[in-house]
Amino acid sequence: MGTVTRLAALRVLHDLRPGRTVTICLPLFLAGGEGDRAFARFHPTITVDGCELRCAARGTERHSGPPTASIVVDALVAEHGLPTPEGRRNLNQAGLEAVEVTAQRLVELVDDVLGAEGPLRDSPGETVPLTRRNAQATTCSCGSSAPVTTLIVDGTEVVLLALPLIFRRFFEAGRRVDDPAVARDLVETTKIYNQIPSGAADRYRDAILREYAAFCEREAAR
Amino acid sequence: MTSKERRVVIVPCSGIGKPFGTVSREAAYEVCETLRPDETQLVALSKLVLGEEEACRRVDSSPAITIDGCKLMCAASLVKLRAGTIVSEVAVLDVFRRHKDLKPEGIAELNEAGQQLARVVAREIAATIDQVHQAETGGGADHA
Repeated sequence: MGTVTRLAALRVLHDLRPGRTVTICLPLFLAGGEGDRAFARFHPTITVDGCELRCAARGTERHSGPPTASIVVDALVAEHGLPTPEGRRNLNQAGLEAVEVTAQRLVELVDDVLGAEGPLRDSPGETVPLTRRNAQATTCSCGSSAPVTTLIVDGTEVVLLALPLIFRRFFEAGRRVDDPAVARDLVETTKIYNQIPSGAADRYRDAILREYAAFCEREAAR
Repeated sequence: MTSKERRVVIVPCSGIGKPFGTVSREAAYEVCETLRPDETQLVALSKLVLGEEEACRRVDSSPAITIDGCKLMCAASLVKLRAGTIVSEVAVLDVFRRHKDLKPEGIAELNEAGQQLARVVAREIAATIDQVHQAETGGGADHA
């Protein structure tokens, strides 16, 4: 079943919904990959599990909150009346059918999520990155990453995780730079995903607020 | 403890984003299904991390060999976190550096070079397993 989940996920990532889906590396995610955990907190996440142990769903729930949707392949196989897939290295025909069934269910869920979120569904074929990346994004065998931003604090470069995602959430909530509570809330949210040294919070706050002001300007100019 | 419980545990990376992750899995299958089926047992990394009883028991009671597809070494890190006994941390990238002609491509389906690289990794792991068993049984080289 694990092989079915991997091949179904790859089929969606590479063939059926390229550019609209990314994968999160489960081992890195479970090992403490903060980038991937933060990514799953901010983006709708669909888990694909092979069996009722539901490792992916449970791991996601534990570290990033409940997944948007979940698929359990052996339940899906039973639902479709397919024979049990066999062959970890080379799937048998039943396994290949299970891959297709799983991929199609996954596509339905992806389309539901993207359709509910906005106009992505209306532009088939257009590549739409789910996150802005830069050269410093953390990467793994899965190639997944969360965005990082480099700020200057006290003349020193510091790298902070997930700032663009935090900024977008604040911006879309109408949080204005000149609202005194925004700086405090930005720092508190940033601290969820980053270590901010005790005693340096004020200087981090100023740097984050400057970056947020620049973000808002860019968004307003769009 | 039965001999089955003392089988060497093989814990491969389970990433699906890059060919090296696929090589690590393919090498694990080659060892556990073809080269040393009676002396190894495969453990899924996610089961181990989420505390599945059987996976944890295997790692707690047997020597482990981890196979990782990238420098983050998730499999090795997670077995160490469990305080498992790792007899070898295999990094596919290190093996590739010694076999630059075997560049893996394809994730869902490895190219021939990737499959060859997996077989090279698997043979090295099989040799390590033999050493582990020799050490456990106190065996040495045969002589007259």
